[in-house]
Amino acid sequence: MDASALQSEALAAISGASTVADLEEARVRYLGRKSELALALRAVRDRETGMTLNGVRDALEAAVADRRTALERAELDRTLTEDSLDVTLPGDDLPVGHLHPTTHIRRIVEDAFLGLGYQIYDDREVEWVEDNFDQLAFPDWHPARSPRDTFFLDGRRVLRTETSPSQIHVMQEQEPPIYMVSIGRVYRRDEITPTRFPIFHQFEGLAVDRNITLADLKGTLLHVMRALFGPDRAVRFRTHFFPFTEPSIEPDVSCPICSGEGCRTCKFSGWIEMGGAGMVDPAVFENVGLDPEEWSGFAFGCGLERSAQLRYGIPEIRPFWESDLRVLTQF
Amino acid sequence: MKVPVSWLREYVPLEMPLEELAERLSVASAEVNALERHGIPDDEGNVGLFRVGRVLEAAKHPNADRLQLCSVDVGDGEPKQIVCGAWNFGAGATVAVALPGAVLPGGLKLEARPLRGTVSHGMILSESELELGPDHSGIIVLPDGEPGTPLADVLPIVESVLDVEPTGNRPDLLSVYGLAREVAALYDLELAPWPGRAVEPAGDEPVEVALDDVDASPRYIGRLFRDVRIGPSPTWLRARLTSAGQRPISNVVDVTNYVMLALGSPLHAFDYDTLAGGRILVRHAQPGERLRTLDGVERTLEPADLLITDGERPIALAAIMGGEETEVTDATRNVLLEAANFEPVGILRSSERLRLRTEGSNRWEKGVDPHLAEHAARLATQLIVELAGARWTGHADVHGELPRPVEVPFRPERADEVMGLEVPADEQLALLRRLGFEDSVVVPTWRLRDVRREIDVVEEVARFQLPEVPFTLPLRREMHGRLTRLQQVQRRVEEAMVGLGFTEVYTPSLVERDERDDALRLPEPISLELAVLRTRLLPSLVQAARRNVDLGADAIALFEVARVYEPRGSDLPDEHVMIAGVCGGGFDRAKGVVEALGVALHLATPYERGEDPLFHPGKTARIPAGVLGELHPTVLDGRWGAFELDLGVLAAESRDPIAFEEVIAFPTVRQDLAFVVPEDVSAGELVDAAREAAGPELHGIRPFDVYRGEQVGAGRKSIAFAVTFQSAERTLSDEDAAALRGRIAEVLAKRFGAELRGG
Repeated sequence: MDASALQSEALAAISGASTVADLEEARVRYLGRKSELALALRAVRDRETGMTLNGVRDALEAAVADRRTALERAELDRTLTEDSLDVTLPGDDLPVGHLHPTTHIRRIVEDAFLGLGYQIYDDREVEWVEDNFDQLAFPDWHPARSPRDTFFLDGRRVLRTETSPSQIHVMQEQEPPIYMVSIGRVYRRDEITPTRFPIFHQFEGLAVDRNITLADLKGTLLHVMRALFGPDRAVRFRTHFFPFTEPSIEPDVSCPICSGEGCRTCKFSGWIEMGGAGMVDPAVFENVGLDPEEWSGFAFGCGLERSAQLRYGIPEIRPFWESDLRVLTQF
Repeated sequence: MKVPVSWLREYVPLEMPLEELAERLSVASAEVNALERHGIPDDEGNVGLFRVGRVLEAAKHPNADRLQLCSVDVGDGEPKQIVCGAWNFGAGATVAVALPGAVLPGGLKLEARPLRGTVSHGMILSESELELGPDHSGIIVLPDGEPGTPLADVLPIVESVLDVEPTGNRPDLLSVYGLAREVAALYDLELAPWPGRAVEPAGDEPVEVALDDVDASPRYIGRLFRDVRIGPSPTWLRARLTSAGQRPISNVVDVTNYVMLALGSPLHAFDYDTLAGGRILVRHAQPGERLRTLDGVERTLEPADLLITDGERPIALAAIMGGEETEVTDATRNVLLEAANFEPVGILRSSERLRLRTEGSNRWEKGVDPHLAEHAARLATQLIVELAGARWTGHADVHGELPRPVEVPFRPERADEVMGLEVPADEQLALLRRLGFEDSVVVPTWRLRDVRREIDVVEEVARFQLPEVPFTLPLRREMHGRLTRLQQVQRRVEEAMVGLGFTEVYTPSLVERDERDDALRLPEPISLELAVLRTRLLPSLVQAARRNVDLGADAIALFEVARVYEPRGSDLPDEHVMIAGVCGGGFDRAKGVVEALGVALHLATPYERGEDPLFHPGKTARIPAGVLGELHPTVLDGRWGAFELDLGVLAAESRDPIAFEEVIAFPTVRQDLAFVVPEDVSAGELVDAAREAAGPELHGIRPFDVYRGEQVGAGRKSIAFAVTFQSAERTLSDEDAAALRGRIAEVLAKRFGAELRGG
């Protein structure tokens, strides 16, 4: 018997088997009890022939096993393929919630300032007139002190008109250096229009340290504006007036809608006004017992809804307060 | 304030593109809201078609009674034949002419065209056609001029207007001259001297002026003019007022408005012959005193209001508006001019109370330099004499102590420190000089209210350097930015709620009504819906859910994190951050959500039966952080789950840090146990008692079924529990499990009369 010829012939038959039944037939023919190989093995007398024939048997058994695995897998796949479905049909209807756009903006602002090493300061909304106006050096004649512009509860208590009283609170509670952002609701006595609502959210930043400069304010606001509106935004300062900062400025951000080309949103100026800012007025430092020759600082305030309007292109302020799922599920 | 550029140019030479000027002013001085273009389209070809013309002949149009047929010299040699509808001129008049092809301000293009059979080769122009004034009844009659002269040389037919909005601390920029000073400083240009030429008085009549309260009215200059010829102002003046947004009225009134716009110090003119007392007394009103102001409104005054009187009766509401009876009219012959000064705060209060804001009060309420009154009087006197042919015959100037320039110590290096930018000291001082500050530095009187301290001077320097200030971050030696525990919990809760399919809403913290009578109420709300500071968050969520029901939404699940305001007498309210939610599905849904929140926050919460007016009386649970359950059907129609929890309590109860427990490798033994108990026994009580009885080897126990029926008898129920036993030390045998079960059954039987079914 030619062992190697037998092995070649058997291997060809095994690999040529296209069904499990064919494979079984080949196995019986070449490895079965009455196969040529089995008969030869039984007839073996010398050790060398035995090793050769055993080697052939092992090789054929391995080939059968491999082929069987392959054929079974092919058959399973064939069955599974018949069980296919329309993958364009929807999946299970799981409930998915959404955060409010104002919260999205709040998080962007918080994360930007956490990254700069600021604390996030949550503060009360009903405030002493003292902290809302007097300590912040609002002059007596300032229009915000008028009950036409501001919700007073009585002569001493007021719904805060800006997040700035947090500046006073944090400077009274903590020693400098202070780096904080206060975020929350503020109240103005505005009539409700598509673009105004008497309640809105501000974020207010305060840095008090040695040698704080206007340049630091500029760099800080550039950082947060880019966090809010993308890495290509530019920031410029315009002079302004606020009671509690000197110098006071208004920061503008290059229009995120048109990138400065000019559009309706930026009134074709290329710039969008983003709130108020400036260097902490020495009078405010004196009010909280800090020496303005030793300490310097900057402060700024911006609107969350306004930021959200710009970031998401929401033309009106109303949708922020209407709890309409058709609006909110977009965020 | 609208500033015509041609007027600004009179005080400072402007060469730069106006867009650039507007931008730089916005950055350094005052916001420029708009750069408006007035007049005719500004291109070379068009401007050249507007000429000065002389009417050579004028006669009635042969075919039309209401038209004139004119022959007009426009400098072209051959006179032009022009048809005109106006009659206020004749041969010899110098007029403004537009030739065929010219485009008028509205965009209308002139064509040579026949009018009633005669071709008109142009148009003789009126004020309104050139946007120089409101008058369209007649054409403009110019002073003598050479025919053919470009019209743009004699009239501002092409005008640009800067709409400038200074901040409240810069009333000096509410004047053309003040803005010119700013432009001169910005571009290092020469500023013209104060406008106004001194005129010699033509008499020495006494003018009696008395000030009752020098603090309220620090200065009053009164000047008497005789033989005033009231009439229209010349076109240049009417054009300037028109471009500045003011309506020309008559020469004397126009002069007062013009000088106010030029210098920022408002003036008023009285018809002198109507002043019964013949003198000026400035005093506070008596209670209930009345005055009919120029707008025809009869006003009742209070002692806080300041009045100009003639010694017998009020003739003006000082600084705000003149009186009707003493106004200058066409019949006026003699005029008393007021160039005064008033203190801002009182004026602001009066104008607010009377809801009367005028160009004048808008300036006074911001504080005007009393020295300006003098400049204003001089310019106004010159113009009244020149334009109304009047004689200036009397003068009085009554005042208290006038403000003097104030010296403020200023260190240029301090400005550098504040800006984070080095600017050479001499450059800083040169800039301040251009703004009217003298060296070392002395603040000019028109800036005294705003610039009192070194930091204010620093701002003057800084505002001109804003574009140069670099972008840096504070240099810090220590940094720690992190969320507080409450803030972390809030974020965790928000994430969990979103994961549970809830959508976040923001509802107003001011509501129409609150369940607490002592909730804080606004004395002056803007609407009934936004009047009370809420002490509960849930009602707002219910309202939001209802709105979405009405909008046809399905699968409504809403939540909000916001403050409520618990009154504490006259103290500030106690503000709690609450989380509330509403969702379709009833009690089980609400409890499932609150339990999931508990898992997210790692808290073990005991549930008790609760009561709350918003909730179903039988399906309300209370936990230490708040309330949950099924909404009362009268609160919201249908089956709704809801909850309202105090975030601070949740944060306090939340386990942090998490205490890791080793996973037990020994197998668990699972059993279902059912107990029959009286109806009033709760599953929670049984669970608590079972845990107590079995100890730590009771690994888990969860009720999964409640059965009532014949088999258990009336007034009783069967509660089935899925129970797992597990020991940390060994594999529990069946005997161990039976012993544990026995201990549980014994305690439950003793304490609640519970029977173990099938046990």
